[in-house]
Amino acid sequence: MDPVTLTKLAANVGAGLCIGFGAVGAAIGEGYTAAEANLAVSRNPKISGDLFKNMLVGQAVAESASIFALVIAILLLFVDSPGSGEIKAAALFGAGLSMGFGAIGSGLGSGFPGGKACVGISRQPAVSSRLTTNMLIGSAVSQTPAIFSMVVALMLIFMDFSTQPLQPTWAALIGAGLSTGMAAIGSGIGGGLAAGASCDSIARQPRTAGQVTTTMLVGQAVAQTPSIFGLLVSFILMFKSFPAATSVSASMALLSAGICMGFGGIGPGIGNGMTAEGAVRWVARNIEHAGDLMRTMLVGQAVAQSTAIYAMVISLVLIFVV
Amino acid sequence: MGNLGQVHQLVVTLFGFNMVFNLEAIFMTWVVFGFLLLFGMLTTRKRDFVPRRFQIVGEMIVGQFYQLTEDALDRKGAEKYGPMICSLFLFMLLSNWLGIIPHLEEPTKDLNTPLALGLMGFVVAHYAGIKSKGFKAYAREYFQPMFFMMPLNVIGEMAKIVSISFRLFGNIMGGSIIILVVSHLTYSLLLPPLLNAFFGLFVGTIQAFVFTMLTVVYISVQIK
Repeated sequence: MDPVTLTKLAANVGAGLCIGFGAVGAAIGEGYTAAEANLAVSRNPKISGDLFKNMLVGQAVAESASIFALVIAILLLFVDSPGSGEIKAAALFGAGLSMGFGAIGSGLGSGFPGGKACVGISRQPAVSSRLTTNMLIGSAVSQTPAIFSMVVALMLIFMDFSTQPLQPTWAALIGAGLSTGMAAIGSGIGGGLAAGASCDSIARQPRTAGQVTTTMLVGQAVAQTPSIFGLLVSFILMFKSFPAATSVSASMALLSAGICMGFGGIGPGIGNGMTAEGAVRWVARNIEHAGDLMRTMLVGQAVAQSTAIYAMVISLVLIFVV
Repeated sequence: MGNLGQVHQLVVTLFGFNMVFNLEAIFMTWVVFGFLLLFGMLTTRKRDFVPRRFQIVGEMIVGQFYQLTEDALDRKGAEKYGPMICSLFLFMLLSNWLGIIPHLEEPTKDLNTPLALGLMGFVVAHYAGIKSKGFKAYAREYFQPMFFMMPLNVIGEMAKIVSISFRLFGNIMGGSIIILVVSHLTYSLLLPPLLNAFFGLFVGTIQAFVFTMLTVVYISVQIK
């Protein structure tokens, strides 16, 4: 196959996978928001106009992950980035995978704060502006893993890798896409869980709003750690110049380094999000012990995180030792 | 677009060692220092019992972070670490906002800046831990729950530095790359100002706050 056709083929397949996977999460998240909005309207039909508005805003934010995927798919289809050949093809395919997987978690996750904010407004209409602000902050921070995936995808599309040897580089680039993309799934969902719980808690205990938002931000930040490890592995795979390899095993090691970190990040992201969810809930109910609760959350998350650290250690071993 | 991720470097050879300086990061850090000094001068000049405009802003920021530190570390800890926490936040906030001014770049876009700040927080937290618990009790914690878990506990602590600094770096650098690519594709029409407002002002503020809070909580985990 000639290089131009191969590059085009990879770009097309990458674009399809990108928006195909990217459409999964946001749709589920938006559906959840709408379902909760129905509950909210039935509880407090008098303010159905406000609830409807809040639902639409929440859904619009949840949709942004899918829009990132759409942007990358359009870039892959219509923008001619420099170069062609096997390495370019691998980079474009990796970019599609990265953004496609990366949009799942954030789209799904940022549906939670939207829904919980609707229910909260119906319960406590007096704090509706505070709830909307908290929802926007929470779902914007839940988008961070999707933004990381988008960054990796853009770098894979626009950076020039053509001077590198073909044999390990193609695997490194696909691995870089998979690492950030898959690790972002868990972190996106986890961040959303924490944000949803905070909207719930502010509606129940409006006086604790400041502390609840702080706990939510710290919890979400730690829940994002697996996707940060994924980003780290991707950066190493993209920026390290690998010596030309004769056998295919070196390439496979790099590809599996990406897969290892990607899968390894899913569970810890969701788990850390659950921890943050619990902490946020109980900070609102027991504000006097907010400091203790935050410490317990952080220690618990550090333990839940250790599996992501195992995955990172193994992928670094695969990159630097094997 | 080909120069995505390229850095201007000055390499000085001294006694056979290559010392590498990232010129943009250093220069932009000086710009941030300048702004911070200016802000500090404006807030503390002509202090009065009835505060003026700048004094109010300064008192609000310092008071807020003092309160946050006190919540996590008690009064004594707040007196000790409050000033550091407050200046950490102000430095990062201005660093993250610097990118919205044309021709200036965020110093936090260079990995070295977040890494230095993360290392500083790490050293301070562990120093505080050793000082409050004593070295023996501090060292014993690494052998929990079983003695053979020691290497993994150490790696877990190291991973904290990686995660805290890469969180800031990834967000700021990611934002600037997205702004660069979108500006290039749309010929700098319509979208870039909105993206600058989102990534520069909004994400920059949140990430500076998250970094600061995590540093506080890391210290409080070590002390208690």
